[in-house]
Amino acid sequence: MSGFTTILRKDLRLELRSGESTITLVFLSLLILTVLTFALNAPGGDAATAAGALWVAMIFAGTMGATRALIAEWENGCIRGLLLSPAERSAIYCAKLVASFVFMAVAELAAMVLMVLFYNLDFGIRLVRLSPILAMGALGFAALATLLATIQVRIRGGDLLLPLLIVPVFVPALIAGVKASNAALAGLRFDAFAQWLKILAACDILFLAGGYLLFEHVISED
Amino acid sequence: MNHLPIEARDVGKNFGLSPVLRGVTLKVDEGEGAIVFGSNGSGKSTLVRILAGLSSASAGEALLFGRPARKLQPHDRLRIGLLTHQSFLYPRLTARENLEFYAGLYRIDGTISINELLKRTGLASVADECVSRFSRGMEQRLTLARAIIARPDVLLMDEPLAALDTEGVELAMGLIEEALGRGCATVVTAHERFQFGRFDFTSYALIHGRLRPAQGDLRTEATERSPAAG
Repeated sequence: MSGFTTILRKDLRLELRSGESTITLVFLSLLILTVLTFALNAPGGDAATAAGALWVAMIFAGTMGATRALIAEWENGCIRGLLLSPAERSAIYCAKLVASFVFMAVAELAAMVLMVLFYNLDFGIRLVRLSPILAMGALGFAALATLLATIQVRIRGGDLLLPLLIVPVFVPALIAGVKASNAALAGLRFDAFAQWLKILAACDILFLAGGYLLFEHVISED
Repeated sequence: MNHLPIEARDVGKNFGLSPVLRGVTLKVDEGEGAIVFGSNGSGKSTLVRILAGLSSASAGEALLFGRPARKLQPHDRLRIGLLTHQSFLYPRLTARENLEFYAGLYRIDGTISINELLKRTGLASVADECVSRFSRGMEQRLTLARAIIARPDVLLMDEPLAALDTEGVELAMGLIEEALGRGCATVVTAHERFQFGRFDFTSYALIHGRLRPAQGDLRTEATERSPAAG
């Protein structure tokens, strides 16, 4: 994919230089996790609350991350520079998706550390099982959010559009992810939540394929 | 069959019910240039965007290398240089990093030295400063460098001399002259056509959305308008 590496390297360089997106996402995730944990009186408490809080934090962080990754391209009309270049539209999409995923992953990592502290967990096998579930969730969400955020930044009054669209569409993956995370944190065997993982994987494939195919039509100017 | 590098066939553009361009027909061959001049809001920028394929025409079609500008393949987009009012530059990257980014996108692997380009546009001393710190004129110079970095075969420039000082104008003219010399087809827009008097451009006036060939000799007009003519 022509341009993928160049665009991704540019996005990561910009983020390393300012840290704006990552720092914002990390603190947002920490805030959400803290509020939910204490609101539900759950410190030291059950895995279900921990799983739910993590996923809420991820949704909020992911929504903001995808938007920020794209808004930068509308500064100085840089998106037109990208569209005019030989870079394939799919390469632009994949680069933005990966950048969003990286930002989300950093925020989730911070949230996981806080979760370990609040819920008296160990950095052990439960977290090892949880990590790929969160990674799959972040990937699917980044794929969907990148596509929808592109629509959002292009239309007037689009700020409300992303949350309105993304939450209903992501619900199946969200339920599957929370259920699988809950089971992983509770220490259940793999086959107890394998079905939820399959649903999550299917959603990821759907979101990735949909984003990859539709992005070209969404990103082109009128 | 050789196709014209730049061609507009009866191009029209409406924004809502307002027609901005009407029946615009334009042909520019290799090594040739056209200047489109007109007042603010006359549709010059819209025309450039349509020619570049960034905006669709409401009527007619814009062709680059004989193919619809909106449907160009990557290997054709490689051959286009565009300069508009927006710089396409990332403010938090340095001048050098911006050019390296576009060099990467346009798959330039050393055939043109970024250092040389920065030097030619008079930006060598500020190459490692963020674009956000640049003046408007410096940003325009860097935009020029970005537009020609891939040695395009088609150059579309919307008011390329905007914000440039005398030295900057000379630099820009030199770059355009070099592009024409290697067969680049060029369309520039301007408020006044005499600014490009040194070139043998075909001049057009964009009036009420219609493109009309302009009368008079561009070079004579440029001479008459120059300070030396008194």
